[in-house]
Amino acid sequence: MRKRHPNKYTNMKGMRRMKKLCVALLLLSVMTGSAIAAYPEKNPQGYIMWGAGGAMDNVARAITPIAQQHLGKTIILQNKTGATGAIATTFVANQPADGYSLLFGAENPNLYKVAGLSQIDYDQLDPVLLMMANVGVVVVAKDSPYKTYKDFIDAAMSGKTISVGSTGPGGLAFVATTMIEKIHGMKFNKIQFDGEGPCITALMGGHIDAVAVGLLAAANFIKSGSVRGLAMISTERIPGMDVPAVTEAYKEYGPYLPWGAFFGVFVRKETPKEAFDALQAAYLKAYEDPKFDEFAKSMGGVKLGLTGDKARAYIKQNQSVSAWLLYDAGGAKFSPADFGIPRPQSK
Amino acid sequence: MAQNLQYFLIPFLQPEMMLLIWVGVFAGIWVGAIPGLSVTMAASLLISFTFSWDINSALALICGVFVGGVYGGAITAILINIPGAPAAIATAMDGYPLAQMGEAGKAIGLCTTVSVFASFVGIVVLAVAAPVIANFSLKFAPRDFFLLAVMGLLLIGSIGGGDPIKGITAGAVGVLLSMVGMDPSTGELRYTFGNLYLMAGISFVTAMIGLFGVSEALTQFRSSGMKSPKQNLDRIIPSWATFLKYLPLSLRSALLGVFIGALPGTGGDVAALLAYDQAKRSTKHPSRPFGKGALEGIIAPETANKGAIGGAFIPMLTLGIPGDAVTAIIIGALFIHGLKPGPMLMIETPHLFWMIVSCLSIASVALMVLGLISVKPFAKIIEIPKEIVMPVVIILSVIGTYAIQNSVVDIFYMIGFGIIGYFLRLYGYATGPMVLGLILGPMLDANYRRTMQGAENQILPFLQGFVTSPISLFLTLSIVFLLFSQTATYRRWRGLE
Repeated sequence: MRKRHPNKYTNMKGMRRMKKLCVALLLLSVMTGSAIAAYPEKNPQGYIMWGAGGAMDNVARAITPIAQQHLGKTIILQNKTGATGAIATTFVANQPADGYSLLFGAENPNLYKVAGLSQIDYDQLDPVLLMMANVGVVVVAKDSPYKTYKDFIDAAMSGKTISVGSTGPGGLAFVATTMIEKIHGMKFNKIQFDGEGPCITALMGGHIDAVAVGLLAAANFIKSGSVRGLAMISTERIPGMDVPAVTEAYKEYGPYLPWGAFFGVFVRKETPKEAFDALQAAYLKAYEDPKFDEFAKSMGGVKLGLTGDKARAYIKQNQSVSAWLLYDAGGAKFSPADFGIPRPQSK
Repeated sequence: MAQNLQYFLIPFLQPEMMLLIWVGVFAGIWVGAIPGLSVTMAASLLISFTFSWDINSALALICGVFVGGVYGGAITAILINIPGAPAAIATAMDGYPLAQMGEAGKAIGLCTTVSVFASFVGIVVLAVAAPVIANFSLKFAPRDFFLLAVMGLLLIGSIGGGDPIKGITAGAVGVLLSMVGMDPSTGELRYTFGNLYLMAGISFVTAMIGLFGVSEALTQFRSSGMKSPKQNLDRIIPSWATFLKYLPLSLRSALLGVFIGALPGTGGDVAALLAYDQAKRSTKHPSRPFGKGALEGIIAPETANKGAIGGAFIPMLTLGIPGDAVTAIIIGALFIHGLKPGPMLMIETPHLFWMIVSCLSIASVALMVLGLISVKPFAKIIEIPKEIVMPVVIILSVIGTYAIQNSVVDIFYMIGFGIIGYFLRLYGYATGPMVLGLILGPMLDANYRRTMQGAENQILPFLQGFVTSPISLFLTLSIVFLLFSQTATYRRWRGLE
């Protein structure tokens, strides 16, 4: 174009043409924008941050087949593991914000910043739905001398060495144990295992004295009497579980609660509203499906069903408790204050 | 009893389940044979796929894939020296030399027969002694897993090639590479240089595909002009005499496999490696020297990894604790179908136990038939010119690697390992010890640390544990004996007998 019209006048004309072109492009983009309103037009991809067979994986694979019936497209699930979920979180945060990349995430990203692992966490994502909570429970072997939570704490306070299982700094077991240590002012001997399942295996084999794990991992072992549940780390008892709430014995836990792991579906911030709403509607319908109820009950999970601001508040509360506990225990590289994470407030 | 028999017969009375088991075994053989495609992966895909099905049908398919998949790994190990799965690493040591001598048909035939036998050994132990073994396996402390890993490392002597220094070097590099990523104990980052993808660590399957698959393909290109050995396919099924001759070894390795499989967290790969080492040390007069086509070198690992299938179900069905990665996924599947895997499974849904026993039995029979039928077509693969087979291997390696965790970065790792492996071989280093180091490194590291943490980081209580616990004492003495049996003093003494 420039070769044919080298003079100033035609350049002006060219500019005007450019303007027209711009308007046309803008219109086109608005039109394609409205085409996105027909979400979903292709199969969304779901990335699960933990490996096959784990609790996160089970929750994702239980709810998604129901949700996709309501969505009208198949959601292709895959496990993208590594660095406690930071790989999957970073990946989804770097995909286009079009609602075609879903993250199935647990509470782990809440600690990425203080652990110095990654700067990308739930601040870059929006919760579509928090499906389930995983409340902590302190368990001992079935032949353990500790019959109640008070027995257990008294023994630990008397200076006896008590070995407890852990799944690594930032894991539910580690944070719960740190919470107990901080409240009662004592120390456990922590032994590291590959996950909550192996912790329970070690407990049953007599290789550790106690462990605080998520109820999802422990429910069936408690119900069958293979291990003994001493206390739920929550303010109230969980229906169907014959385990007292920790606040029944010690009120001091109050400010830290409610606290627990959670499982949710996330998409990138700035995802078009149509896409976000369609996904949320599909997952909410699946959440209310009796089939998912049955699944939640058999696993021992507490249904959450939080969306929007409530979901955000739940995530922030978990982050505040976990990050500060980890930091105070010397397990964090950076202070939560550096990232504007407030200390847990007493209520 | 009559009740249990009724449960056992469930799959026999449902043609659909029967069909699914056979389909599963057939698909499993292929999944197992392709490097990178694993039973674990297939099982987790099947869970989404079978979501709307009846749980019985889903389990039938998964059991079929499990049995077929563990077997399939041996096919490529024998034919092209590329183990399709970690459980078949040891099988390649003697299987490939046999194929080079034109005996691939015989090797696969023998492998199939003893595999089916071992699979039944595992099933019988599962059916008869599950609760006893499950409770015993719980007694294995972190210290004992540490000792098992040490025992596994001694295998470097068997698969390290001629030069011990080179074998140990390759093994040490493997252990070192396994340390990359997050420290399992403190979460501290090791050798990651601030890179998020290094934080995820190096998956040993990725390394295995590179070191065995791509590096083998590259090595074979060097000899591309050479004619492939003509395969003798007359006697595929081993004679009764052969079968009976190797029966004691088969039974011993299968039982070892059942037990290692029943230990939570260890599966067919560790079982097969330990069995190979054990066979090499205990066989006085192998059919040919080990590493040069000894039939014992195929029988031991293949019976151990099949025995481990039944073994892995033992803690899963009795305690709700997975024996390996595949049973961990099956536990997830049961949850999703609204069942309660765990100690209550046997009480609330007793039919599941006998149904799984039955599915595994049918799958083993299917393996016999499908395995033997496919010996001839499989053995023909070896006669296809390398210029055609090896590029296919490389393509499959790339696909398989990507499929592990949908990561493009893993493909680069895999190719990197392939090139490293090529040069290692060129300079006379075996790649086996490196993979061994990668598999056993995390087991060694995590369990040593756990034992130390249990002893509150005190050296004396740490050492005491090795002699005060009966299991640890037995394992420690076994290792001491294994080492001592290699000394000149011991050999002279045995020689004088």
